Amino acid sequence: MATSAPPSASVEARVEGRRPTLEELKERKARSRQRGQRTGELMTLSLGPQHPSTHGVYRAELDLDGEVIVAVRPEIGNLHRGVEKLCEHRTYHQIIPLTDRLDYLSAFAMNHGFCEAVEKLMGVEVPPRGRYIRTIAHELCRIANHIMWLGIHVMDLGTQTFFCITFRDREYILDLFEMLTGARLTHSFARIGGVAKDLPDDFDYRCRKVIDFIPKRVAEYERIIKYNRIYHKRTKGVGIFTAEDCYAWRVTGPALRAAGVARDLRKDEPYAAYDEVEFEVAVEYNADVYDRFLVRMKEIRESCKIIRQCLDRLPGGPFLARDAAHSLPLKKDVLRSAPAMIQDFYHVFHGPHAPKGEVYRAIEVPKGEMGVYIRSEGGPRPTRVRFTTPSFYHGQAVPALCEGEMIADFVAIFASVDVVLGDCDR
Amino acid sequence: MSAGGGAERPLPASLLAADRAVLDRFGARILERIEAFGELTYCVAPGDWTEVLSFLKDSPEGAFDQLDCLLGDHLPEREDRPLAVVVHLVSHAHGHRLRVKTALAEGQGLPTLTGLWPSAGFDEREAWEMFGILFEGHPDLRRLLTTDDFEGHPLRKDFPLQGTVGGRIRIDLRGKI
Repeated sequence: MATSAPPSASVEARVEGRRPTLEELKERKARSRQRGQRTGELMTLSLGPQHPSTHGVYRAELDLDGEVIVAVRPEIGNLHRGVEKLCEHRTYHQIIPLTDRLDYLSAFAMNHGFCEAVEKLMGVEVPPRGRYIRTIAHELCRIANHIMWLGIHVMDLGTQTFFCITFRDREYILDLFEMLTGARLTHSFARIGGVAKDLPDDFDYRCRKVIDFIPKRVAEYERIIKYNRIYHKRTKGVGIFTAEDCYAWRVTGPALRAAGVARDLRKDEPYAAYDEVEFEVAVEYNADVYDRFLVRMKEIRESCKIIRQCLDRLPGGPFLARDAAHSLPLKKDVLRSAPAMIQDFYHVFHGPHAPKGEVYRAIEVPKGEMGVYIRSEGGPRPTRVRFTTPSFYHGQAVPALCEGEMIADFVAIFASVDVVLGDCDR
Repeated sequence: MSAGGGAERPLPASLLAADRAVLDRFGARILERIEAFGELTYCVAPGDWTEVLSFLKDSPEGAFDQLDCLLGDHLPEREDRPLAVVVHLVSHAHGHRLRVKTALAEGQGLPTLTGLWPSAGFDEREAWEMFGILFEGHPDLRRLLTTDDFEGHPLRKDFPLQGTVGGRIRIDLRGKI
């Protein structure tokens, strides 16, 4: 069965530097999904849950017709830990470490999302320094996540060495996090009303060194990947998912921005210090795997810009709200002053006071939009918490993304929407 | 601080326009309209569920093109209708958000939203396994996050936090539960 190489019509149809219309994208999508010879004979392939390209314990049952994927049945839940049930039995402070374990590759973003929701519920105002430190940590986390994503994505496409390069660069960010929070992966750094610690003394110097270095590395990645013909063949015109599809399947983040939608909650519903810094929303228009890569590379550069601005303008003052009813006291005060000690006892043994009501707060985490729903009946514990995590919906959208595509493209497409199973299964 | 921080936050103008359109169209069928924390919430009867949500999706004032999340909830203190389904909608055209809720009796079904927003599929499967809320017309209502032989609905308030339910993976039950 010597099938001639599929004419990569979709690749040639892509005109660089021109925005395709929605009709063109749809036509490209349809053409891309008519590649490959079909034999009419179905074979079922079970991919995962321990397949290296499934980024965790994601299992997909693929129905294959020749090399064409006819149907995908995603199976998730192998990493379910019942976080939402646990939240109902813990105080708001105690939930923060649980959120680290949702998306363990961008742990601070998860802390941040939860704290933003709690602050909305309790009406806590975060002091400016706290907001800036949060922005710095969140953007560091975005850089680390995207670099990690790139390494794994390219490794899925068969390049082992590149993975080591990106992992080395991610270490610099993790070193910064270690310096800032004391932990490399699960930081539990955000607090209700601010952050846990102030910036260490030489953080400014070391952080600037890293964010000067990272854009150079991104240029290096692009030198290796962006103009690599093999990478082009594997990704251009593959896995096209238009803006309409993204809305329907709630695919958010870089995958949505690669479809030409300038949607970024950092701009649209600003939180932390994002309305005080200047940055561009990274947008690309071809809605394929290649453009998702371009969006992420642009985002790394923008993140470096944001961090630099935050370091330049870092305001003084407290980094944690002086709000006795909702925030923990500073550790250094607890053993020295009676009110701080009382506040500490109150928060550790009782918990912060939340009013009755329900809130929903969504923020832009590296993988997409993460929402937190909290229903409170008053008191120190939430009554119902729901984490609306991007990977959950991205994992669900895999059938819509992959059906009709070739089996060899499955790993490329699956990786391009960035699914982390801790985030997906909660 | 009893009202929370955002009680006085105003709603965006586009959302108020959508709000007027909905109230004109449905009137008293919106059982309750809550404005708190800068968010707008409608409570509707389960019978109006699909109609209200499809109106919200299709009306030009609303234009809620994305379902941000659908979740189940359990309120045991509300004895006649202990279950709830909460939906959060987003409009990319206007940039506003809305919450719609409905209350359900034990065993009462709710029409699926997968026809309006396909992304409701996993959410409804999760709400079904965690709370036992039946979604009528759902294409694939199976357990999603727990094992196939798991018994009970773990996010209900009367479900214990610790204990041994299920525990073994039974392949023979696959697809039947």
